[in-house]
Amino acid sequence: MKMLEIKNLKAKVEDKTILNGVNLTLQAGEVHAIMGPNGSGKSTLAHVLSGREGYEVTEGEVLFEGKDLLALKPEDRARAGIFLAFQYPVEIPGVNNTYFLKAALNAIRKARGEEELDAMDFLELVKAKLKPLKMDESMLQRAVNEGFSGGEKKKNEILQMAVLEPKLAILDETDSGLDIDALKVVADGVNALKRKDRAFLMVTHYQRLLDYIVPDQVHVLAGGRIVKTGGKELALELEKKGYEWITQKAGV
Amino acid sequence: MNATEAKNTYLSAFPDWEKAALSKDPFWLRETREKALAAFGEAGFPTSKEETWRYTDLDHLFQLPFDLTGEKPAKAAVTAELKSLGFDTEKAYLAVFVNGHFSKELSHLPAGRSEEAPKSLIENLANGPLKREFAHILPFESRPLVALNYAYFTDGLFLHVPKGKKLEKPIHAVYLSTNTGHATQSHLRNLILMEEGSQAILIEHYWGNNLKPYFTNAVTKVSLGKGARLEHTKIQQESALAYHLGVLAVHQETDSHLTSRVFSLGGALGRSEVETALAEKGAHCLLEGLTLARGKQHLDIRTFIDHLAPSCRSEETFKAVVDNESTAIFDGNILVRENAQKTDARQSNKNLQLSTESKIYSKPQLQIYADDVKCSHGSATGQLDEEALFYFESRGIGKAEAKRILVSAFAGEMVDRVSDEYLKEPLRRMVGEWLEGKS
Repeated sequence: MKMLEIKNLKAKVEDKTILNGVNLTLQAGEVHAIMGPNGSGKSTLAHVLSGREGYEVTEGEVLFEGKDLLALKPEDRARAGIFLAFQYPVEIPGVNNTYFLKAALNAIRKARGEEELDAMDFLELVKAKLKPLKMDESMLQRAVNEGFSGGEKKKNEILQMAVLEPKLAILDETDSGLDIDALKVVADGVNALKRKDRAFLMVTHYQRLLDYIVPDQVHVLAGGRIVKTGGKELALELEKKGYEWITQKAGV
Repeated sequence: MNATEAKNTYLSAFPDWEKAALSKDPFWLRETREKALAAFGEAGFPTSKEETWRYTDLDHLFQLPFDLTGEKPAKAAVTAELKSLGFDTEKAYLAVFVNGHFSKELSHLPAGRSEEAPKSLIENLANGPLKREFAHILPFESRPLVALNYAYFTDGLFLHVPKGKKLEKPIHAVYLSTNTGHATQSHLRNLILMEEGSQAILIEHYWGNNLKPYFTNAVTKVSLGKGARLEHTKIQQESALAYHLGVLAVHQETDSHLTSRVFSLGGALGRSEVETALAEKGAHCLLEGLTLARGKQHLDIRTFIDHLAPSCRSEETFKAVVDNESTAIFDGNILVRENAQKTDARQSNKNLQLSTESKIYSKPQLQIYADDVKCSHGSATGQLDEEALFYFESRGIGKAEAKRILVSAFAGEMVDRVSDEYLKEPLRRMVGEWLEGKS
């Protein structure tokens, strides 16, 4: 089943065109990686999909499970099952992690017509999700991401993903700022969430993450377009040769 | 009416009012009241030309007709209403004043006539310390609104805690303004005398269910003896058209400790002043406050900490949230005098603006005349963080709910700092209801 279809997507920030006709189809159960040089539009694509303000879509469309995604407000996209793991998770002083997660889960459950969880049931659920991520329970009582190390922040994103159980997870540079141990834990966390009715779109600059989360397809984004698509071996080639040979060939 | 006309009205009304209302006043108090009235007459109402009144204009107050014909109020369901605000009134001494008059029926005070029991000030004028108190006018009492209060006060709370005594329950003084009677104003005067080593928790709760405009002018004087500890919380919850002006003036002796909190939410115009004189070595004060303003509310906080003696400590944290076309003011002045070596003074003011039409005036002032001191102050005003809002939205939480959570986190910090159980829950509820737009 087609989970996500991006058709000729063009977007600009202020007056600068960043995405210049992106085409991409993601099936349920698949893992795709989007790679590309700095400034190629990788993060912009992730932001446009999640509905962040400041981006103007000038052309094209995005279908999520066959429905117009771009017409939805960000919170409605999340409720529909889209999750963005942030490159820079936001610190929110004064709001505790449990409270935040519970509010998010219940907002999503409510939108789906499910019963909201009470504090006890929620705590039970979230504690079970902490273990595979090697996170301490004390994290739940801290303010959201406040004073967290880089690794803790990224783990916290994966924890949120595990609790919210999205259909489509977009991981924006999830490997950045992680040492190798943290990277393994985060990758294991993601791998544990793989399901045949769930898809992953990973935005990354380096091939390193793909050693641990193996993609079905790798797309190279350059100049706002996908200029090459291949299997997981494409990532290895990029690691060896850099991006220039592709971008030159594509004329960007 | 302009300021001068208003002043003349207040001056000319005095003889008749005095005859009718003050027949029971002892002669020595009458004399001081007249002196205070003269001081008010000389100074007149403050205008925005004065530095400490720069941002607060009393023009609208002058339009309020003067009427102090203090009809005794009808019974009000005070206890039930306090319970609905979340106060477990069984756990406090309740002293209720309605339209400026003490209501014995509505109050729950300890039986008998123990010295430390909270009392009506006016009913205890024969009491020794009160006679001394009202024998003269201090310089601060000749300030116009304080002097006006002195001349016209009808009652207030009198608390005298003897040496070493700790009050078992918090005192919840409720100053209610109701629709009953013609009175458009009440002048309240509270006097708190805490002797060496004594301890008390006091809540001054200004509260209105009067839908018409009215004026509350309250003055509280506190004296803290050696090592005495007072935890004072003022809740300003007047009704929408009210004008509230209040002053808390404290004098602190050696190693005494004051906690003063101001939760300011009510009224069309509200101004709360907190002043403390750290007069002897080792005195410590903690001043905190939260202002929540919306609509066209104008809520003003002014603090003055006078470091007169060595090794005293002061800590100040004030926050405000403003929405719509409201205004919040923080004017915090710390004076460290030459003699006040080893002073440790910290001040912080943080404000959150929820609309572009709202206004914040923050004026931290530090005057230091001693050389061996630790002082710091900071002021920051900002809007809700767009990044944080998007983070919530991306997790399925809508913008309105995200805003509510973020504002609640900002404001809730001031409630989290309150340790007293009697207050904590009602304050939490009060902030919550403000966020829901109910108050």
